[in-house]
This record gives sequence, structure tokens and C-alpha cells, in this order.
Amino acid sequence: MRRGLGRLAAVVCCLLLAACAGGRARHGGSNTVSFALPPSATPNWILPLAIPGYTASYNGVIQSALFVPLYAYDGSSGAVGMDQQASAANPPVYAADGKSVTITLKPLTWSDGAPVTSEDVQFYLDLIRAAKDDWGAYTKGLMPDNVTGFHIVDDHTFTLTLDKTYNPGWFTANQLTLITPLPRQAWAHDPDPRKTFDYLVAQAKNLGGYNTDPLWKVVDGPYALESFSPTGQVTLAKNPSYTGQDGSHLDKITFLTFTSSAAEYNVLLAGGVDYGYVPTTNLGQRPKLESMGYKVQPWNGWSITYIPYNFNNPALGKAFQQLYLRQAIQHAVDQKAISQVIWRGTASPGYGPVPQDNDPTFLSPQQKTNPYPFDLDTSRRLLSDHGWRPDPDGILACREPDECGPGIAAGTRLSMTLLTESGSDETDGTMQELKSELSKVGIELRINAQPLNTVLANGTTCEPTSPACAWQLSYFGTQGSWYFPAYPSGEQLFATDAGVNFGNYRDKPTDDLINASTLATSPQSMVDYSARLAQQLPVIWMPNPPYQVSAIDASLHGVVQDPMAGLQPQRWYR
Amino acid sequence: MTRFLARRLLLALIVVFLVTVVTFVILHLLPGGPARGVLGVKATQAQIDAFNRAEGFDQSIPLQYWDYLVRLVHGDLGTSYTLNTDVSTLLGERLPKTLLLTATSTLLGILVALPLGVWQAVRRGRASDVVTTGLAFVLYATPVFFLSLVLIILFAQVLPIFPAQAAQGDDIASLLSQPASLVLPVLAGTGVTAVAYSRYMRSSTVDNLAEDYVRTARAKGTPERTILWRHVWPNSLTSVVSMIGYSVPVVFSGSLVVESMFNYPGVGLLFWTAARNADFPVLLGVVLVIAVTTVLGSLLADVVQLLIDPRVRVPGVKS
Repeated sequence: MRRGLGRLAAVVCCLLLAACAGGRARHGGSNTVSFALPPSATPNWILPLAIPGYTASYNGVIQSALFVPLYAYDGSSGAVGMDQQASAANPPVYAADGKSVTITLKPLTWSDGAPVTSEDVQFYLDLIRAAKDDWGAYTKGLMPDNVTGFHIVDDHTFTLTLDKTYNPGWFTANQLTLITPLPRQAWAHDPDPRKTFDYLVAQAKNLGGYNTDPLWKVVDGPYALESFSPTGQVTLAKNPSYTGQDGSHLDKITFLTFTSSAAEYNVLLAGGVDYGYVPTTNLGQRPKLESMGYKVQPWNGWSITYIPYNFNNPALGKAFQQLYLRQAIQHAVDQKAISQVIWRGTASPGYGPVPQDNDPTFLSPQQKTNPYPFDLDTSRRLLSDHGWRPDPDGILACREPDECGPGIAAGTRLSMTLLTESGSDETDGTMQELKSELSKVGIELRINAQPLNTVLANGTTCEPTSPACAWQLSYFGTQGSWYFPAYPSGEQLFATDAGVNFGNYRDKPTDDLINASTLATSPQSMVDYSARLAQQLPVIWMPNPPYQVSAIDASLHGVVQDPMAGLQPQRWYR
Repeated sequence: MTRFLARRLLLALIVVFLVTVVTFVILHLLPGGPARGVLGVKATQAQIDAFNRAEGFDQSIPLQYWDYLVRLVHGDLGTSYTLNTDVSTLLGERLPKTLLLTATSTLLGILVALPLGVWQAVRRGRASDVVTTGLAFVLYATPVFFLSLVLIILFAQVLPIFPAQAAQGDDIASLLSQPASLVLPVLAGTGVTAVAYSRYMRSSTVDNLAEDYVRTARAKGTPERTILWRHVWPNSLTSVVSMIGYSVPVVFSGSLVVESMFNYPGVGLLFWTAARNADFPVLLGVVLVIAVTTVLGSLLADVVQLLIDPRVRVPGVKS
């Protein structure tokens, strides 16, 4: 047996020596950068023409590195504006009547040598027009419905005719940014654009073909695809054929996938990642990371975070429709404590529908100053003034129906269920804090934590008579509830019957302001919209968590953390 | 033996069938379905309806299950919602990686555990037994994630000898090209397996050493080494063999915790990611693999036990 053990020890020693010979990666020191993708994120789409289910931001980052979008926006300077270097066209020129826009492309070239032309833009529009219901960015009445004509002036200039006069700022930021010129000469599989769309989608679904399919070799961006693993790891290499003004300083960038933030953090501490993230629970180790040569920086998103009320809920929908009740609830949200204690200072308080820790252009004074600060006495008074009295168990019940509000029956109790996403210590803590404060004013909050998919599937738009309308409050904001395009208007969130207006909020003045924000040229309507919804509380406004807390190799320069989740790795250098 | 095998295989088929029924029904009873999770928060109702139609979620659960069963019989496990790849292809890619990790860990664990268990049993009550048993208990009580974390901190962060994560790549060759990246996950798996088996082996050997046949052999003057290895060893192995058989499913399904901690791209991780993304076809595929390997592992353990232990008698089977 002794001989056997000796042999085993020898084998282990050999294994150790072999392993030592393999060495391991340390961050820094080469012209290749490793970037950690969010936990469980697996890139699964590089076609810049996403269908539903493939619109994740990490897919977008890879797409924009390969294919230059018509217009890119960036918010890293503190103001969200056009990133001209990263755009395929010069700034658009709107006609005096606002019903057409003329665009001139920059002299970019596809990697097969063909120039990027107006026909490549028309090709994109033809594809999304032919298959708009299958296009992930489609909203009825907007792109491409709102483009009624396409006129090619020359190879690099074209004019779009619009169905009506739009706010140019909104149209450029939220509509023209959806367009990406595509290599028509290489991708026009069939004269019928619908068939070509289906063909491209089928090819894009074949992840195993990304490395070999000639389709993906034709790019015009600063990078080309070097390798794509179906397990998620993607490597981009500098595009030697790139002819634009925004070429890459780096040779390669590798996107790493991780099972969990803990696995990523272990690799980060072992020096295996150049640009990673720190779980907020590990922020106490910031000095250690800094001593290892990492810069630790929160990456704030162009986003808002909230808890929708279900205004159609049969039990409490009528109560939620009362502004005083929503005010009382908002007064019980201690945003400062949640941001500073639970999120360890990485979240920012949010009081309205416009992102408020980045560009203040659209921020109203009302939203900025918080019309409903944390104040439990005011909260209690608002409820008692409107006929709510505590039951023996301390939970408030409506005892004066005339004062409670129309449709609220006597005896209705303020006991509500919050469907919230599970799996985050910070979210758990936030919900417990909310429950605790609300209990002090006589509102019972029952917390039902479920996986994010379940929360999204259940907390959705419904009719009052439907069994699906049983949900009352829902929270899906561990990484922010909603990330905006460049123009943070609310047509998808708070307009009547909007796709993501999960709580069925209806308010005519809000609809008018949203319409005005997309049509009028003045930014005032957006500021008014910010003020109205900060006061009207269509949702419970909550602190906005960061997109992530980044740990960036200190020797990596040129990194800016764009609130719109763009990366622009071509500008990084050592 | 043939009748015994046929009966057990039939039973195995029934068990696998019931597992697929239960898993399928539970998954499809989840409120809301996978559409919103798969398509994202911005998907329109029309897009959600189209997804539900395309995936058959607008049909009754029995009809959906029947479709699933028909496809299964034809070898079609479905296509992952998020990875756009056949589940059979995904399993084909991930299983070899998981086998490499878990089979190596199990094998090393057995190689360490069996002699260790015998050694401890022979020295029962002595200081060396007390110390090794104590250490084994500590390791046995240590959660795998903690053991993995300790290994990472010690050998990837404090002493930067091994990578903190496994090599990434599509096939097993990518893993084998960086053997260093396998050391820590294999060590974590080995540690857990070794202490578990060694406890059983020690206990089994101690029991056998107290048996009459050992006393008789000693009385006849048989050398202690012969008693130990020719008589006690095979008898002690029988109970451990069952355990090894029952560990077969883990070998195929992977160790979720180890794979998660070391970012190891195996079946366990595939299952975890699928669960997070409501990727029903992948979840069903992995559960099927676990079910099949569980019943086959159990069958294998019974057959091996039958062959190595003449005391085991099954009606109708000649040992």
C-alpha cells in the first residue's frame, strides 16, 4: 500500500508541475483586453437587426464594434449626445417643415472592399419594413412606419420622408439610432426582402456558424470577429480594413462569460480579468482591488427604477388610483437609507421618470428636489385624513368610503403583495426596508420573491376581470427597471396602453406631454413630463442601482463608462 | 440474469417516463410561461403570442407533452431558446467536459478513499486514525462551495499557481490544452468524493474485521496481509460499490456548485443557466440525462454487487 500511495503522490506532483508550467494570466501588460460580461450573460446574436429575445445590451456592444450604426449616442461626458466618431453618418439635416431629413454617410468601407453607400441604408429599411412584426425594435406607428419615402441623392447622401413633423432631437436619438447600414452586396440573399430577412435571421441563429460563415466576415466597424464560442466567449480583433476615424488601439478584446458574480470576482482577484465588476457585497474589499492595480468605479445607467402599481387589480386598483395613497406610500420610501446603506452608496435616489444622476437636460426642479421626501408623519396624516383607520392588527382599513375615494369599499384593507425578483441581497434588503417603513404607517406589504422571469411574466398588463390581474406591485429593478435610448421620453412606459405600461396607468395630460415630447422641438415638454410624473407617481419611485461597479485595470486608459451601456473599446489603450 | 436485467430495464423505462411527466408538468405549470423571460421586458403582446404559438404553449399541457414525447422518440430534444442550438448538440458538447471533471474527480476520490478507509480501519482507535478521521469529518462537513473558495484563494490568489477558472472553449480539447485550469475543480471534486467514500470504506472494513471468518482465518494462521486483502477487502467493497453506482448520475449531470465556482462549462452549468433563463428544452434535456443515468447507475450497482457478492440472491437469478 505504501508503494501505491507513493505512486499517487508522484502523479499529483507531476500534475502540479505540469500546472505550474501552464502559468496563469495576469491583468494588464498586453494589447489584448479581457472584459467580463454580466453573470449568466451569453452573447447570442451579432446581426445588427435583432429579433425579440436577442436585444440584450451585450449583444449590442458586439454588434456596434463590428457594424457602425447610422447614429450612436454617448452619455459619458455628463450629457447625452451624438457620438459622431462612432456614427456612420454626419449629423442629419432636417427640412424646414420637419417632414424630411437628409443624411450624408461618411466614407466607410466594408471589409470586402465595397464602400458603405446609401443603398446599404435602404437595404436595412427594406428588411425591417418587410418583417417589422418580427423586428425586436418595432413599435406600431414608429420606425419604419413613420418613414414614408427613401430618396437616394447619391452614393453617400439620401433623404428620408417622414409621415409628420417630429421633434428632430427625439427622431434622431430614438429612431435614426435604430438603423445600421448593412452590406447589401454580401447579404442580399434574395430580391424579396422578407426572404432575405428570414435568411439572415436563420444564419444569425446558427451560433456555431459565426466563426466560418462568410456573412459575418463583411464588417465596417473597428473590429472583426475572431472567434465566437457557443458557450459565450467572444474575441474581436482589430479590423485591418477599417477606414473610419475611430480605429482600435487594441489588438483584441475578449468577452468572458461567467456563471455567477462570485465566479467572476474570484477570477478578478486572481488577476484574470482586465475589466470586470465587483459584487456590491464585496465592495468592502475595494482597497485590496486598488492595491492590485484596479480602479473601482460605479457605472451608472441611463435608467430609472420603480415599482409599478397595478391600477387594474380588482382588490386594490381603485385605491392605487388615489393620488393621496400613492403620495403616502412614496413618503414611506427612505431612498437615502436604501441607497447609502443597502446599496453601499452605489445607488442613486430617483424621484421621477427621467434619469437624474447623469444628464440633467430634461430634469424638472420638481423631480430633482423630490416632492415626497421620506416622512412617515405626513404619510400617516394623508391616510387618516382620507378615512383610513387601523384595524386591531394595526393594518389600515377604509372606514369612511366617501373620503377614501370612489370605488373603494368600506373595510378595504391596505394589505398588498409585492412580487419582487429573488437572488439579490440588495433587493431583499430594499424590500425588507420598504416593508418595515410601510408597516409603521399601517400598510402591510407581503413580499413574494420569484425569479426575474416569473416577475416579468406575471407583473404585466392585464384586464381587471382577468385572473392574470392578481398582482398588485412588482419589482424588477435589481439592475435598474428601464434603460432608455438617448432621448428618455415615456412613450413605451407611461403612455396609455403603451407596451411596457404594465400597471395600466392612464393620464391624459401625461399622454399629451409624451406626444409633445416626440413631436415638438422644444425640450420643455420633456421637463414638464418629468415634473408631472414626479408629482403624479404612476409608480413607486425607487433608488436607481448602478449598471455595475466596475474594476478596471489601471494601466488601461481611454475607458469611459457610458450610461447608455456602450463600450467603445476601440478607444481603450495601454 | 437476463430476466432480471429485462425486468430492471423495464422498470427503468417507467421511472424515466414518470420523471419526464413530472418535470414537464411542473415546468409548464409555472405561471406566465417562459415567453416574457425569453423575449425580454420590451417584447410586445403580439410577439409573446407569436412565441407561445410557435412553441406550442397555446395548447393543452397533455397535447404539449405528447408532442414532446413524439419528438423525444425521434431523438429530438428540442432547441434551446437562448443558445439557438439543439439540446442534443449542447449535451454532446457539455457532457464530455463534465465527464472529464467528474469522472476524474470520482476516480481520484476512489483511489484515495479506498486505501485510506482500509488504513484507518486497520489502525482503528490509534492516534493516526483519530487524526485522519477528524480531518475527514471536517472536510466532509465543509460545503463544496467553501472548499472551492479556499482552493481558489490559496492556489489562485495567495499562491498564484493555478487559474481560478477552467479553460473556456467549445470542445474538450480546449480544456485539455490547459491542464492547469483543471487542477482546482478536480481537487474540489476529489476532496468531497474521497472523504465520503473513505468513511464508508473504513466503516465497512471495521465491520468485516470483526466477522467470524476473520477470526477463523487468524486461528488458522493466515497472514494478516492475506486476511486483509484477500478476504476483508472484497467483502468491504460491496457496500462502497453501491455508492459508486449511485454516483453515476453526478458523473453525467455534473457538480453544479463546482462548475459554478470554477466557471466550468459543463452540464451542471448548462442546467443552471437554463433555469435562470427559463430555457425549458434544455432543462428537460438535462433532467432526462440525470434520470436515465440515475436508473442505469442504480442498475449497474445492483449487477456489479450481484457479481462480486455471492451472498446476494435475487429470485430467478443464479449468481
